[in-house]
Amino acid sequence: MNAACAPPSGVDYRVKLGEEFEQNLSSRNRSASIWQLIFLAATIVCVVALLTLLIKIVNDAFGTVAYQNEIDPETLLRSVGASADTTLADLPKEALAEIFQANVSAGLFRRYNTEKPFEERTQEEVLALVNERVVQPKIVKTWGLFESLLNRGAIEAQTAAIPNATLEFRSWVSAEFLANPQSPEPETAGARTAIRGSLLAILVTFLVSFPIGVGAAIYLEEYAADNRLNRLIQANVNNLAGVPSIIYGMLGLAIFVRLLEPVTSGVAFGAVGGGETSQNGRTILSAALTLSLLVLPLIIINAQEAIRAVPRSLRQASFGLGATRWQTVWNHVLPYAIPGILTGTILAISRAVGETAPLIVIGASTFITVDPSGPFSKFTTLPIQIYQWTSRPQDEFRNLAAAAILVLLVLLLTLNAAAIIMRNRFSQRRVS
Amino acid sequence: MSRRARPGETIIQGFLLFCGAVSILTTLGIVLVLVQQSTLFFGSGELDLGEFFSGTEWQPAIGKFGIWPLFMATLVTSFVGMLVALPLGLCVAIYLSEYASPRARGILKPVLEVLAGIPTVVYGYFALLFITPLLRSVFGANIVQIYNMASAGIAIGILIIPLIASMSEDALSAVPRSLREGAYGLGATKLEVAVRVVVPAALSGIAAAVIVATSRAVGETMVVAIAAGAGPNLTLNPFEAAETITGHIVRISGGDLSYDSIDYNSIFALALFLFVITFVLNIISRAVVRRFREVYE
Amino acid sequence: MRRTYALFALVMTLSLIISACGPTPTQAPAAQPTQPPAQATQPPASEATQPPPTEEPAMTVEFVGGMPPVDPLAVSGDIVTAGSSTVFPLTEALAARFQDEGYAGNITIDSVGTGAGFERFCVAGETDISNASRPIRSSEVESCQAIGREPVEFRVGTDALAVVVNPANEFLAEGVTLEELAKIFSNEAANWSDVNPAWPAEPILRFSPGTDSGTFDYFVEAVMTPAYGDAGEETILSAANLQLSEDDNVLVQGVEGDQNAIGYFGYAYFNENKDRLTALKINGVEPSTASVDAGTYPLARPLFIYSDASIMAEKPQVADFINFYLTYVNDEIADVGYFPASQSALNGAKAALLEALSNAGSE
Repeated sequence: MNAACAPPSGVDYRVKLGEEFEQNLSSRNRSASIWQLIFLAATIVCVVALLTLLIKIVNDAFGTVAYQNEIDPETLLRSVGASADTTLADLPKEALAEIFQANVSAGLFRRYNTEKPFEERTQEEVLALVNERVVQPKIVKTWGLFESLLNRGAIEAQTAAIPNATLEFRSWVSAEFLANPQSPEPETAGARTAIRGSLLAILVTFLVSFPIGVGAAIYLEEYAADNRLNRLIQANVNNLAGVPSIIYGMLGLAIFVRLLEPVTSGVAFGAVGGGETSQNGRTILSAALTLSLLVLPLIIINAQEAIRAVPRSLRQASFGLGATRWQTVWNHVLPYAIPGILTGTILAISRAVGETAPLIVIGASTFITVDPSGPFSKFTTLPIQIYQWTSRPQDEFRNLAAAAILVLLVLLLTLNAAAIIMRNRFSQRRVS
Repeated sequence: MSRRARPGETIIQGFLLFCGAVSILTTLGIVLVLVQQSTLFFGSGELDLGEFFSGTEWQPAIGKFGIWPLFMATLVTSFVGMLVALPLGLCVAIYLSEYASPRARGILKPVLEVLAGIPTVVYGYFALLFITPLLRSVFGANIVQIYNMASAGIAIGILIIPLIASMSEDALSAVPRSLREGAYGLGATKLEVAVRVVVPAALSGIAAAVIVATSRAVGETMVVAIAAGAGPNLTLNPFEAAETITGHIVRISGGDLSYDSIDYNSIFALALFLFVITFVLNIISRAVVRRFREVYE
Repeated sequence: MRRTYALFALVMTLSLIISACGPTPTQAPAAQPTQPPAQATQPPASEATQPPPTEEPAMTVEFVGGMPPVDPLAVSGDIVTAGSSTVFPLTEALAARFQDEGYAGNITIDSVGTGAGFERFCVAGETDISNASRPIRSSEVESCQAIGREPVEFRVGTDALAVVVNPANEFLAEGVTLEELAKIFSNEAANWSDVNPAWPAEPILRFSPGTDSGTFDYFVEAVMTPAYGDAGEETILSAANLQLSEDDNVLVQGVEGDQNAIGYFGYAYFNENKDRLTALKINGVEPSTASVDAGTYPLARPLFIYSDASIMAEKPQVADFINFYLTYVNDEIADVGYFPASQSALNGAKAALLEALSNAGSE
């Protein structure tokens, strides 16, 4: 060997023969298996983390609760002269209506009577009203799902220690939860206002961001010459994808809520009456515009990839037939790329569904009682509702937060499943 | 045949150019808004730039505007997050690209996608109601406060594992088979191929992944708002409560401020600081990829 | 294939639209009663006519009879309120009752702190009613006047500021004096033993409402200023281990979670969490209805809502809601966890409302 080929001094690259080799080999194999286990363990940790998260949420969203009645049904039965053996359900409608009227405020009775006179209500309806408004079960203590299933005895002992408490299994995710508006009472609080707010905001976000995002992607892929401006736009889009979401919130606060207040509050469109205080810029429209800016880079990047995947031969064939650029894009490129574009858009939208910080900065309401009815309404969204309920120290609100999280996760799962199904269906089609 | 310019085409091209320009307008908007309000803040006479960058107390009500308590909390939570996410994410990436059977991959990839898709407020819930009690039972309730940076940091770590894993795995998979096969041909074990051949070849991509993940951890808001604490506190102890830059912005703007007070302008200064940091990190990551990427063809 | 996408997209969009704009379940009454029911109601007309006063309200705060009753079913329009997190549960309870009894409009209540609430009311002009746990300042009155509003004060209740510690805390069983409390929350003491050598040498973990909160302002005024003068606010804000939050729930959790923690907030939040927290005696007096009524609890403070006559003229639903509020607040206040204002204070509030309405009507 000449000097140029000699290995650096101190390192011996010659193959170790014989016993040394065998020892070396086995130690190398040993460390290889150890590290393989370590890598496997890391992945198992990830899977376990996800499962723990989901199990914790499910645990909190179902369980047993101990109720105490505000007014004991027995007292009510006695007030109408019924014997203590009967239950409220056995009473005739008139007696129940009497109990109701005697125990609630005049205004409340008047409201229900105006809604639907008590003579016209069925016995079940009046019974439900009496239970809800007069008996008023109040939750005293809650337990999680696993504790309820496994530790039934201890729970019953604890309940026995609380006077007049009854035990019941409760699923915090229920039809009532989905249908009730926000309320300070955990027994009747629901997520309806938040769900409607989220859906409406997402709809408007989609309507705004989809055309602009796809338009920008088309521009960057089909029309843009390779000059400085377009390279700048491309780099800009990539940078924006990495900006923290709270910065978008502050942009939205300064521009959409404050600067463009006449537009976003609907005053410019004459959409409101009711005085200057009823409307300000903290509306669904501001939220949707902010979210659109947030998801725009994601949509653009995904759409670009989808458009890039269209084979050049398709475009060239179209040009060869004399089509203009836009005709090519609209009639050939886009139909081919739409599945990929839609998949990317749905994924971007599902990211917007979970966004909380920008909307807090914009000013989603702490307590709002009427569902949002249009883009100029005040609003709250599901993640913000979860945030508020998580902040409350009472256990019942933890359960409500878990129930709301389940609803949110189901919503996201649906969106993602739709995207995946679309992706699979059309990749199959592509192959065939 | 002469080429007649179709007016429709020009209009459409104009519209598309506008769409492309929206992103530039967004960046301009962000920079303008942040800079304008920050100049109001810095120029208000109540503080000077030096105090902003060197002060150790942040209490706008009494005129203290040192950024270090907030910045330190951001650093501590991000550090804890990276401590969790970097080893786990890298190991998952190596496993996915080198070892995993298609069936394992079929389970792992959806798991990572689900982890990435869970909203951050859910991670905040998890941090406050599961990780904090866990830490308190392991380390003792008098060491771990009920709001602390460690559980927020751990939740952030879990949150960014998918980011590191997927970006690193992309980088690892991009290394051509020929390198691996050459190493196998020389008698290397699977571990040696993975660690001594593939990883160094993909290092630029992995470094980019780490930097992007750090940027994400720094910008994370909801987890720290729920679990890390609600008052600026200059400390290195992760078991204490402290407020990060993002948590502070959310707490203050959740309370909505008088629109021209120094408090309102101060959050824009904080946001500008945050924006500059994440922007610089993102640029660095792209530069790293461009400069150090090995080209094999 | 293209048709299936279009169909799919159409179905998704439709379902989103339907669920977003669909009819709400029977929360609102089916129809407005065109004929007001037997009782006299506030005329829901756009101009506020003079409500028939049962008696001319004198300048003294004694009057019998009272306000013309409000029928929530006949009230329409939106109401925007914001302000104190202390008053929030009270306004929330009355808003919920207002809606229960048939009000169909939208009430938004934002819990942002007394100071921020006044900013929204007096500077931005965004709210109709401001909830406050301290009286309005003259600078805030000036800001209001600058935008054409003259704030009218309505006393709605009394809060006994609860200073709370963890139930495991034994060394504070006898409570604290005001001077000790000031020292505990100051930057002079790092450990409990710095305040009183008999107490443990553990660091004090402090939880306080944020600087936007009226509770904070009140605490500074009632506790810190007597001990430290003008430097009171600075003293508390430069204390170590201080957690500030406008969200009182965060404070509850903080104190609940640590043996060496101490915090303060409105009594309602203590009332809701009685089993997890202990309220300290201040100067030997425990917060209770008796001590608040007798005036012996040192940290009792009034709760207010503020509005303006021109708002009430322009939006009669605001006047109706305030009327309803003042009429039923004493029914709800005990449940919420505060203490009723004295009868004469409430009468004064009702008189202020009637005066504001008559002033507005005569313009």
